[in-house]
Amino acid sequence: MAAVVREFTKGLWKEVPPFRLVLGLCPTLAVTTAAKNGIGMGLATTFVLVCSNLIISILRNAIPKKVRIAAFIVVIASFVVIVELMMQAYFYPLYKILGIFIPLIVVNCIILGRAEAFASKNSVLPSIADGLGMGLGFTMSLTLLGAIREILGNGTVFGIHIMWESFQPFGIMLKPPGAFICLGLILSIMNWISSRQRSH
Amino acid sequence: MVFVLTAICAGAALVLAYANKATQPAREYQLLKYVQGPSVKKVLKGYDNDPIKDVIEVSMGKDEKGQPINIKIFPGKKGGKMIGLAYSSSAQGYHGQIEVMVGVDMNGTITGISIMRHSETPGLGARVVEPAFTNQFAGMKLSGQLNLSARGGKIDGVSGASFSSQGVVSAVRKALQLFPKVKKEVS
Repeated sequence: MAAVVREFTKGLWKEVPPFRLVLGLCPTLAVTTAAKNGIGMGLATTFVLVCSNLIISILRNAIPKKVRIAAFIVVIASFVVIVELMMQAYFYPLYKILGIFIPLIVVNCIILGRAEAFASKNSVLPSIADGLGMGLGFTMSLTLLGAIREILGNGTVFGIHIMWESFQPFGIMLKPPGAFICLGLILSIMNWISSRQRSH
Repeated sequence: MVFVLTAICAGAALVLAYANKATQPAREYQLLKYVQGPSVKKVLKGYDNDPIKDVIEVSMGKDEKGQPINIKIFPGKKGGKMIGLAYSSSAQGYHGQIEVMVGVDMNGTITGISIMRHSETPGLGARVVEPAFTNQFAGMKLSGQLNLSARGGKIDGVSGASFSSQGVVSAVRKALQLFPKVKKEVS
């Protein structure tokens, strides 16, 4: 049980995907123009990650080594299509905003990476914990990045005005350079906290 | 090796077919709410009812494969009297089908058009959705005028995108050709 908890929590801080592993940067940089988009993208990715980790760890002894990547991609792509259909059916406006980045979850290297590095070598429970931890870490990172960019670039968070009246938004924060600047700053803050923890 | 991969693909196909079927009504509802609804309200003029609620489904015969064709007609009414109809029509553009919502008054004159779905080239063909292009259709009837200016009509196509522009014109012409039949069905 302790091992399962460890697999879950590592995705939340020690190996949080976009910052520590610097994986899955394409959606991280592209969709985080608002906190809401970050949550939507993060949860869609979490769903795919947990489900594909589950199926792949169940099938891990049945899949021959030579075709494992093809088999993983079929499983992952199926769940991505399911997410896409569900979003079309229940969250149409969000689906319109995220657009091409929903189908592109298929090629998100976090998902194939976890399938190859973790789920194909571990049993079902740790694999689910790993997927859930990584997915929630990804969701939190995207939401944080989205919230910072939305506050500085638009003066709102989750669509609610929080900055003072005369605040002039930084338009650059909503553009790609803003995403890189934010990502770098968060990464450096995280490294600073970790290095302080180590020296204590 | 082959067997396992085949089994996985077959399993995936089964699950996806089920998911597609299970979400279909909800997806159609969202499409109505976010895509067709706003388009209908844009292309009909001077109505005081809710055209989405009053939708009429009519059968327009069968297609080549013998499947029945049903189209949704959104009627615009004023004081209970029908003053216009909106329905969708589609035609081939440069990349795939262009779906257009066409609003027509009871004399067969266009009150407005709105492009609902297309996959034309961004920056070129995709510019057919701009009002500068779509506004030209209002007030026209099915006649020689309803053609691109290159073909002797009165519609100026989007420059560099004659296939996309022609696609929209064809879709609108198709809608108007259906109009007498549609009018008979709804009245």
